[in-house]
Amino acid sequence: MRILVVEDEAALRESLKTDLSAAGHAVDVAADGEEGLYAALEYPIDVAIVDLGLPKLSGLELIRRLRAAGRSYGVLVLTARDRWQDKVEGLSAGADDYVAKPFHFGELQARLAALLRRASGWSTPLLQCGPMALDTRAQTVAVNGAPVELTSFEYRLLEHLMLHAGEVVSKTELTEKLYQQDFERDSNVIEVLIARLRRKLDPEETLKPIETLRGRGYRITLARSPAVP
Amino acid sequence: MARTPSVSRQLVFAIALPLILSFALTVFALDRIFRDSARESLRERLDQEIIYLVTAAELTDEGRMDLRLLDPESRLVQPRSGQYAQVRTARGRILWHSPSIADLALDFGPVVGSGQTSFEERTLKDGSVIGILNRGLEWDYAPGNSAHLVFSVAEDLAAQRARSARFRRQLIAWFSGLVVMLLVVLGGLLRHVLRPVRRLEQEIAEVDSGRRAQLGSGFPRELAGVARSLNALLRSEQQRIARYRDTLGNLAHSLKTPLAVMRAALAGGAEQRQALDHEIDRIAQIVDHQLQRAATSGGATLGQPTVPIAPLIADLRAAMLKVHAARDICIETEVAAGAGFVGDRGDVTELLGNLLDNACKWCRGRVRLQARVEPAAPGAARLRLRVEDDGPGIAPADRVRVLDRGVRADERAPGHGLGLAMVADTVALYGGELSIGASAALHGACVDLSLPGRTVESDVLTFTA
Repeated sequence: MRILVVEDEAALRESLKTDLSAAGHAVDVAADGEEGLYAALEYPIDVAIVDLGLPKLSGLELIRRLRAAGRSYGVLVLTARDRWQDKVEGLSAGADDYVAKPFHFGELQARLAALLRRASGWSTPLLQCGPMALDTRAQTVAVNGAPVELTSFEYRLLEHLMLHAGEVVSKTELTEKLYQQDFERDSNVIEVLIARLRRKLDPEETLKPIETLRGRGYRITLARSPAVP
Repeated sequence: MARTPSVSRQLVFAIALPLILSFALTVFALDRIFRDSARESLRERLDQEIIYLVTAAELTDEGRMDLRLLDPESRLVQPRSGQYAQVRTARGRILWHSPSIADLALDFGPVVGSGQTSFEERTLKDGSVIGILNRGLEWDYAPGNSAHLVFSVAEDLAAQRARSARFRRQLIAWFSGLVVMLLVVLGGLLRHVLRPVRRLEQEIAEVDSGRRAQLGSGFPRELAGVARSLNALLRSEQQRIARYRDTLGNLAHSLKTPLAVMRAALAGGAEQRQALDHEIDRIAQIVDHQLQRAATSGGATLGQPTVPIAPLIADLRAAMLKVHAARDICIETEVAAGAGFVGDRGDVTELLGNLLDNACKWCRGRVRLQARVEPAAPGAARLRLRVEDDGPGIAPADRVRVLDRGVRADERAPGHGLGLAMVADTVALYGGELSIGASAALHGACVDLSLPGRTVESDVLTFTA
């Protein structure tokens, strides 16, 4: 992967660059917020690591701006500030995960890998297919205005399906979105999740939002309409 | 620089001005009334004299007036006595004049018609002022014959004027005295009433210079609220300072051991690296915990805006789903409309964050958070929070231990014990209640909190899924 590291503390920045490169990734670095924003917008990044306390432009502002510019790759916040208020602020601003300093490098790597696989709905805050409305920021779903309680896996499946509404999505692709390591994959899990989704979204079986295509995958039958915020 | 308004000064002006104005008006009115009254009685007196003269007068056949003044002491007899009389014909020929006129050239004014009266004041050449009453009447001196005569009486007004002036002087003197006395009394009253304010001022100065820790009691109702609030503020500040001191002390002491171990491990060589790692973890956690304790602004509810809980919970839920993305969790939230927390936003976020984080770590797949506001004493509503999960729960024996600082119920789940200890600290600081039990609905752990709360009218979110 191509990773961007935005960190003002030189020693940490260099050690991250060394360790990530050794793990086989291409690493770009930036020492302040402005440099970081430029790199975030210009380079084909797969995932970014951002420190919050940056000179010139704060980490939070950097994240907000890159999301506003339509960049939807994973962003991981790495910072010493780890009160929940800071975590919530970082995640609401556009980050996908949060690692507090000091950290174990192994943990950082695992979370970076997970970020790659997770669907990031930052470019489309609201998804609408027929009566189904999905709010990617709040991670909530409503059918005909009535909220539906989903587990986080069910939510992620639905989000991915709706992002590709009308297209066929394979089981493999869906599994990758949920799990970070191959050995956790169980081919039955997707079927179970889809069944649960159908029960929760369409209890009367009037809508039939998800179509099964044997041997190929799943597809949302309803077309995506421009979402009404 | 604008001068700060003074309540005392404003009050004094507000009362003195109308007081002085109304007193001045009263003096003026009374003076007028006195003068008019004096004038009236002068006229009556003069009229009385004329009647007396008329009864004493006789018109002879030759057309002479025979007027015998019976009273030798009468002022009309004594020369220059200040009272003068005269009788004239319709054409102005003087028939008789009183001895008091002597050689004074007195002009009694124009004659008046029969049955008519005139009254006027005149200033003489020597500056004295006299009041003149002229009365015209028909004199029947013989059957069928009458003559038109004018009887006039005049009096020197000097004495009367002197009386008027004396009255006015006395009036002004008395009223001025009254005004001054009233203002003095007012001033004294104000000083007395405002004494508690001066006392408050003084006690605050004493607190400022450290000679006093809290404001006293016994302030009047209007100031008691201020004194109470200030005391609450002072107490929370003192607590905060004590906490900082406490925290720094704890931090310094507790870091010594891991540092010592690290030093030993460094001397030991490569195989000690794991020990180093472990000690660094410990140091990080200790620093975390102590800094979080120091950062808690908890306890102060004075001047704290209400934090709407619903958007906060929605944000935390989204954050939890991301942080625990590796697990398939369903987080349900039920938040009463307008539920709010009275206190620091950071504190309640930290508290709920810790509880939700624990619930997500331990649950099998379901977490539920409920929030509502319960009215208790007037103005002291409680925010009731409940976090439940469907995990293994916390065994009754462990529940007390878990709240004990630094002790963990299970070493496997990192940071569990510290998080709950933090929550207990914060809840205690806000004077709230915390209880850990079993969840009837989800069969895992159930944590109940009671904190200072308020219902916010402007909250839009009513239900989040």
